[in-house]
Amino acid sequence: MAEGKKAKKLEKIRIMGELERGLDDVDKILATGKTDIELDFSACTFISVDGLEWLEEFLLRADSLKSAVTFVNVQTPVYKVFKVAHIDSLMRACGSPSQDAQGLVC
Amino acid sequence: MTVSSEQELMLTQRANHLVRQARLAAAVFTQYSQEKVDKIVRAMTAAAIENAGKLALMAHQETRMGVTEDKILKNLVASEFLYHQIKDKRSVGITREFPDLNMVEVAEPMGVIFALAPVTNPTSTVIFKSICCAKTRNTVIFSAHLMAAESSNYAAKIMYEAALAAGAPKGFITWVDKSSRLRRTSELLMSHPEVDLIFATGGTQMVKAAYSSGKPALGVGPGNTPVYVHKSANVLSAAMDIIISKTFDNGTECPSEQTLVIDREVSEQLLNEFKRLGCHLCTQEEVEKVSDLIVDSRTGGINYKLVGQPANLIADQAGLNITTPIKMLLCPLNGELRHHKLAIEKLMPVLGYVVVDSVNEGINKALDINYAGGTGHTAGIFCEDDDVIERFSDAINAGRIIVNSPASIGGLGGVYNHLNTTLSFGCGTGGGNITTDNVGIKNLINFKRVPRRRNYVISFQTTKNIYINPGSIDHLKSLKCQSAFIITSRSASRRGHLAQVTERLPQDCHVDVFTDMGPEPDFATIQRVVASMRHSKPDTVIALGGGSVLDAAKIVRLFYDYPELKISEIAVNFLDFHHRMIEFPKDMKTQLVAIPTTSGTGSEVTPFAVLKDGHRKISLIDECLLPDVAIIDAHLTRSLPPDITGDTAFDALTHALEALVSTFSSDYTDGLALEALRLIFESLPETLKNPNNVLYRHKLHNAATLAGMAIGNASVGVNHALAHAFGARFDIAHGRANAAFLLSTIEYNAQIPSKFVSIPCYPLWVADRKYARAAQFIGLTVEPIEGEGEEARGLRLVHKLRQAVYDLAKLANQPLSVSELGIPVETYMAAIPELTEVAFSDMSIRTNPRYTLAPEVAQLFASAYAPRERP
Repeated sequence: MAEGKKAKKLEKIRIMGELERGLDDVDKILATGKTDIELDFSACTFISVDGLEWLEEFLLRADSLKSAVTFVNVQTPVYKVFKVAHIDSLMRACGSPSQDAQGLVC
Repeated sequence: MTVSSEQELMLTQRANHLVRQARLAAAVFTQYSQEKVDKIVRAMTAAAIENAGKLALMAHQETRMGVTEDKILKNLVASEFLYHQIKDKRSVGITREFPDLNMVEVAEPMGVIFALAPVTNPTSTVIFKSICCAKTRNTVIFSAHLMAAESSNYAAKIMYEAALAAGAPKGFITWVDKSSRLRRTSELLMSHPEVDLIFATGGTQMVKAAYSSGKPALGVGPGNTPVYVHKSANVLSAAMDIIISKTFDNGTECPSEQTLVIDREVSEQLLNEFKRLGCHLCTQEEVEKVSDLIVDSRTGGINYKLVGQPANLIADQAGLNITTPIKMLLCPLNGELRHHKLAIEKLMPVLGYVVVDSVNEGINKALDINYAGGTGHTAGIFCEDDDVIERFSDAINAGRIIVNSPASIGGLGGVYNHLNTTLSFGCGTGGGNITTDNVGIKNLINFKRVPRRRNYVISFQTTKNIYINPGSIDHLKSLKCQSAFIITSRSASRRGHLAQVTERLPQDCHVDVFTDMGPEPDFATIQRVVASMRHSKPDTVIALGGGSVLDAAKIVRLFYDYPELKISEIAVNFLDFHHRMIEFPKDMKTQLVAIPTTSGTGSEVTPFAVLKDGHRKISLIDECLLPDVAIIDAHLTRSLPPDITGDTAFDALTHALEALVSTFSSDYTDGLALEALRLIFESLPETLKNPNNVLYRHKLHNAATLAGMAIGNASVGVNHALAHAFGARFDIAHGRANAAFLLSTIEYNAQIPSKFVSIPCYPLWVADRKYARAAQFIGLTVEPIEGEGEEARGLRLVHKLRQAVYDLAKLANQPLSVSELGIPVETYMAAIPELTEVAFSDMSIRTNPRYTLAPEVAQLFASAYAPRERP
């Protein structure tokens, strides 16, 4: 967290089963602008294209609200999805290195 | 912003959008199981079959090429036949197992595939590639030919919707919409960084563009199929197959026949049959007219407006007066075939032919066509003679050589043969491609090889019959032999050993003797002995003497039994015994009895033989060198002078120490090495004190043989490499040469290596622990120090071992440094580069527990010169 920034409350949310689409409850928590969010993927078994797109958009919204979002306990199959998707924001949320310069251009 | 740059931006955004969809779908697809994938493939196949007719009609209406009924067949081949071939194949997780190799292959999708679909097969290609991509968990963006984009894209839509309904990821199939900017969009996609592979089936220009994009590309080359009709062929059947093939979709299939090469013996029958079945045989004048029509005079290529058009239409346009329906036009290609205008790919029912007078001429003419723009693609042969088929296949450069079947449908695979079903024909390097495969699912998977560590089998071998204990020489009395050839040295003869042997051999055994075997003989001496043996024709060789005699006898027997062998060929170095290139004979014909008269080399039980070759030593290693019988009789060593007793004992000591830490050591060799060490430390001092004490001579003799068994299976190490080079260069007895380096090499090997040895049978560097174990085994101890770790204690034990070796060497009057051997320092130092080179290439070094680098070899030589203090 940047120096001087006021600490927000950290909300820990566990994603259960298949992430097939956006999660309204989580969107609402973010919309308050009062919390940082930790998404726990330990119980996430599958992620769809819609799920991916929601995560990417969620991170964009969090960024504009200056809320920090981190992904924790990402299981290998889902982590591989993030890797192959070449979406840098997802990797950053995992605390992983960015993709190389040849990453997603679109 | 200008109109063109606005347009370019719009196209780029469109390309980005397509790729993004495909990229996300590719990511999601990585999670799919085999079952889920197979369900999708099944649904897509069903949809393709259901829509085969509709799509064929649409393709024909849009392109005005080919035959709707044949396009239906193509759509079915691309779905039903493909499905049949791939339905049970694994494309997720472990795809293949190789139990014998301890290896598996695991599938990794390639990712985003940009696929081209040609105008000639606009729907079948899309069906085929979509199903292949689903099976391999890749996503695909289609770019159709502008003239076929509506039908191609509709096929893509049908496949996508079926896949989506069956659970495929959103965006798994996408396509470039038909527009005047389709080609530019395709170019942007070809070079898009998020596209992983270009799967190009299409015109030559598009395939070239794909290859030029800098991306991995599966392309296809152009075809120009020669088909040879040999005189042995079933002519009537051949005629029908050729008509089926060449008229299939009006000749749009690129594997289809372009020029027939017909044996004269069957040409009349074949041409008559074509005529009977409704083909038109053109006159020379008609050939000219057809050529003028279908060949573009500017480029020499095909007139694309006639691709896939019916024969009658072509005949009409060419001005041929044909009023009846015909299936195809047959054009004799007279004159120089290589320069004939029609000796090209003709994607229409126009077929060239030539008549030949021999198989040789037939294959050569086929090669002319094959190399005239169709290299690597397809060829065909109608023939019942397997030899001719083999000759044809050997000569023709084609990814598929179709035998006794229609080349076009045969090339598609799965209908007439067991080729992989495809709509994409790899042409190998001849066609500028990476593969000659019928491209399919296996070309769309990144196969990850997962090799488990090899099970490295080490065998244990030694001399089969070993007679031990003092007096065991009496075994010779019962030796089965009619004619013995004794190889020995003058000293053995002088010491009475020769007489002891000859007295004990059976009465009826003829005996010849060679007594001039000196120390470290060369190959000329070996040849001399073999020549002597040729006269007496012995069935048994008896080697009586020290290591040099025994080694020499092994080589003598080898060349006596197998005179055709060449020393230069069997002395080739090797890295790994299991993989070495040379082969020794499996069975020896002549019995070899080894009777050592020194307690050192252990040669009586090893598969080694060393030979001097100028300033270097050659090592021969093979099981066939093992003697059949060894007699370990300590009485024969009683008269051994103290200096030779010490020299040879230090050779045995070095064997035991090096075998113990060797990378090829095992529990079997460790036991032998440790016991040999213990016996040497126990018996050498006693033997030196009382040379006639047979009990200690016996122990020392056994120690040498045990150490021999150890090195016979575990080999030696860097000390021997140094000693071989040094001994050969300065003519130093082997045992003494070993002794001079022993303290250095124990210290060197006990240190954590600067480089580890890469060999599967040595998974852990344990040389320091093994030396420590040796120290304990011979009764050395260190006082415990509180808090001291095992490693530090081990190093103190190694230090103790070096002290013990030093003390034993002093007792046995062994040199512990090179300077003690009277070699001037300047001479020695000047020789180090040469010594290093020789030692570094010595096979002994290969089993050293520390990967010995050349500078380290030089350092070991250099540090061995100065006189040593007790460690």
